[in-house]
Amino acid sequence: MRRLICLPCLVCLLFSILLVQAAHAKEDTDDSDEVAFKDFNLNIGDRIDLGDYQMELIEIQSVRDGLVVMRTSKVGGPLDEQRALLLDSPNNFDGGAENGGITITVADIFDEQSAKVRIEYQKSLGTARKHASERPAAALDKPELSVQKSFERNQMSVGDEVKVTLTVKNTGTGQALGIKAEDAPPLPEFSYVAGYPPKIKETLDSGQSDSAVYVMSAVKDGSIRVPAIIVSYTDAKKNAKSNSSEPFNILISPKSKADLAVKLAGLAPIALDGESMLNISISNSGTASATRIEADGTVMPSEGLQVTGLEKSFFEIMPGEEANYSVRLLGQKPGNYTIRLIVNYEGGDGSVIREGTAVVVVLGREYKYQYLLLIVPIAIVIAWMYRRYREYKY
Amino acid sequence: MLNVLMLGVGQCGNRILDAINREAFGGGGAANLAKYYLRPKFPSRVETLAINTAINDLKELRFTTAKDRLHVPNLHGVGANRNVGKQAFMDNRDMIMGEIEKRGDFDIAFVITSTSGGTGSSFTPLLINELKRQYRDITVVTVAILPAREEGSIYLQNAAFCMRELMEVDAEGIILADNQNMKRFGGDIASAYNKINDMIAKRLLFLIESLDSEMLSVTDLGDFKTVMNGGLRIGTMGFYQADSKNLSISDAIENSLKPANLLYPANVADDSARAMIIIQGSREHLDVDEITKEVERLTASAGHVFKGIVIKKGNPKVLSVFTLASAPELESIYAQAARGMQDEKEKRCRARKQLDDAFAHIEDLEEIY
Ligand SMILES: Nc1nc2c(ncn2[C@@H]2O[C@H](COP(=O)(O)OP(=O)(O)OP(=O)(O)O)[C@@H](O)[C@H]2O)c(=O)[nH]1
Ligand SMILES: [Mg+2]
Repeated sequence: MRRLICLPCLVCLLFSILLVQAAHAKEDTDDSDEVAFKDFNLNIGDRIDLGDYQMELIEIQSVRDGLVVMRTSKVGGPLDEQRALLLDSPNNFDGGAENGGITITVADIFDEQSAKVRIEYQKSLGTARKHASERPAAALDKPELSVQKSFERNQMSVGDEVKVTLTVKNTGTGQALGIKAEDAPPLPEFSYVAGYPPKIKETLDSGQSDSAVYVMSAVKDGSIRVPAIIVSYTDAKKNAKSNSSEPFNILISPKSKADLAVKLAGLAPIALDGESMLNISISNSGTASATRIEADGTVMPSEGLQVTGLEKSFFEIMPGEEANYSVRLLGQKPGNYTIRLIVNYEGGDGSVIREGTAVVVVLGREYKYQYLLLIVPIAIVIAWMYRRYREYKY
Repeated sequence: MLNVLMLGVGQCGNRILDAINREAFGGGGAANLAKYYLRPKFPSRVETLAINTAINDLKELRFTTAKDRLHVPNLHGVGANRNVGKQAFMDNRDMIMGEIEKRGDFDIAFVITSTSGGTGSSFTPLLINELKRQYRDITVVTVAILPAREEGSIYLQNAAFCMRELMEVDAEGIILADNQNMKRFGGDIASAYNKINDMIAKRLLFLIESLDSEMLSVTDLGDFKTVMNGGLRIGTMGFYQADSKNLSISDAIENSLKPANLLYPANVADDSARAMIIIQGSREHLDVDEITKEVERLTASAGHVFKGIVIKKGNPKVLSVFTLASAPELESIYAQAARGMQDEKEKRCRARKQLDDAFAHIEDLEEIY
């Protein structure tokens, strides 16, 4: 098993040796008076030594603009120059390679840390060699902002207030400058109560964060997609950057209200001078509490049915709950009476009136088996006549 | 209170009995309904019984209760044959008498029958004998209906023999009604019968009522018996109801004796033996002097006249009951019957002779084949 792994490793090694030898071979083809060139991939702090010349990559000044700063010096000579080099343009030192000096061209900028540099020189100067910097690569100056927008809750009802928090954090290594968080346009489903538009610090050092809070209130129901918020900034070198939060959904349900239903239980007819109880229930089938509930009613016609305890008030009825009470009825005159109960309450959106009715029948004096008065004589007469008929039937 | 038994025998008797019951319900069309809610209203305790050999005749009745209809089973009726009728009565005597006995004791019995049919005319004399045997003190009066003269020789013959038997039995008397009267009413036979029946019914009920009420001047069952015993012990009844145009009581009495108002056409002045005049009406119409005068006038020709006066609201009504000292009309019936029988006999002889003559042709011959 171990041999199986060793085999590809060996192959790789052999292959790389072959490659290195090939590179040397190329170099070797140049003549001593001829101009030779050599490309180096340099990290910041790396140095190329060529005879007495020393060339050090100091800084990638701008990746975008293609500016690289290099320091060129000659041991025991007057040359000691730090120069910004533009990408792809040759820079001559001591007259350039044609005249026994050197020419440096930035061939490519990989990132803020490294670039590809070509050195041209007369072969007589010796061989250019890369001298890697001993100090570690300098700490990066690279700000990175994360942005987050969050709602206090993502389900609410029309009329609810909601707090929105905007948080920007520099998770990068460099200072972020010119920070701008664009939380626009305003959402039409909300009215903005306070703190809008949110303000974020313009500058954030690495590791620092800032947040802004604003309050708005839902005015329209529906499902709303809250768009991404974009934060834009630059690093110290004016490199513009941006980041955005994740868009997400919130749900606004219709305004929560109390909804009371008044129910007067059906009632069997009351005998004259009889008593009965009428049960009344006021139930809240809404989503909000009903408060300051006041019930009162009328009886039509007003004479003949005595109703006591119709007036009643309750402080609150929670959603899904109900309040019950009963009134006492006393039938004084036969007839049909209508009891109308009017309930007034605060339902979360002003005061509301609800009604319920019940019909109460007060019976007249009951003459049970009254119909017998008719049927019995008829039956007797019929029976009598039938008997007579039989009597005369021969 | 009198206990009255009314027997209707044979179809004619049954129907007159039914008319009596109907009269007891008030008479007229109202009686049809009244029987469903009223009891028959008789002046006394009256028991009625319809007796017949023909069940269909009994079924025809409408105002007589079912229990008051007695069917005497005889296979094919009696077919106007009095001998068959007598046999049927004797065979069922106990059943018939038992049925009567069930109805209790009686002071007077009226036996109503036609004289000319089979059943009624043969049952009645035997029935009267049985009644007299069973009820010691009973008064029995026969109400006998004579046939119209042209009803046929058998009916006349039956009437003749029946009347003879009725005279022989130990009854108090016979009240005659004559179907010959029918002719006066015109119309169809059925309604003419009904009219006679209603007349008889009304008079009998009036009579019973008079015998049983508190009279101003008393006539009672005894008086009635005396009247019926007079003369031939054959009598009849006349009736008149005064209308408001002429309320005179003497006129009413006279009218009640006119032949048109009698059940049997008789000449009261010449033929009556004893009479009874019963007057009913409001007091103001009943002038006792006038009544007395009228009765006295009648007495001159009719021997003895009983009078009864009943005060009852209404126009004067007069019922006259009288017996006859002579009955020329009856005699003519007998003559006619005898003639009929003679004719019948001769006819039979002639027929017999004719047949014998016919047979004489083949007297000495044999059948040849
Ligand atoms: N007044 C009167 N006479 C009647 C009535 N019905 C029948 N007659 C007479 O009665 C005679 C006949 O006698 P019915 O009574 O019918 O005979 P019956 O006694 O039933 O005897 P059968 O029928 O022979 O068994 C006839 O002279 C009829 O005119 C009637 O309703 N009223
Ligand atoms: Mg008959």
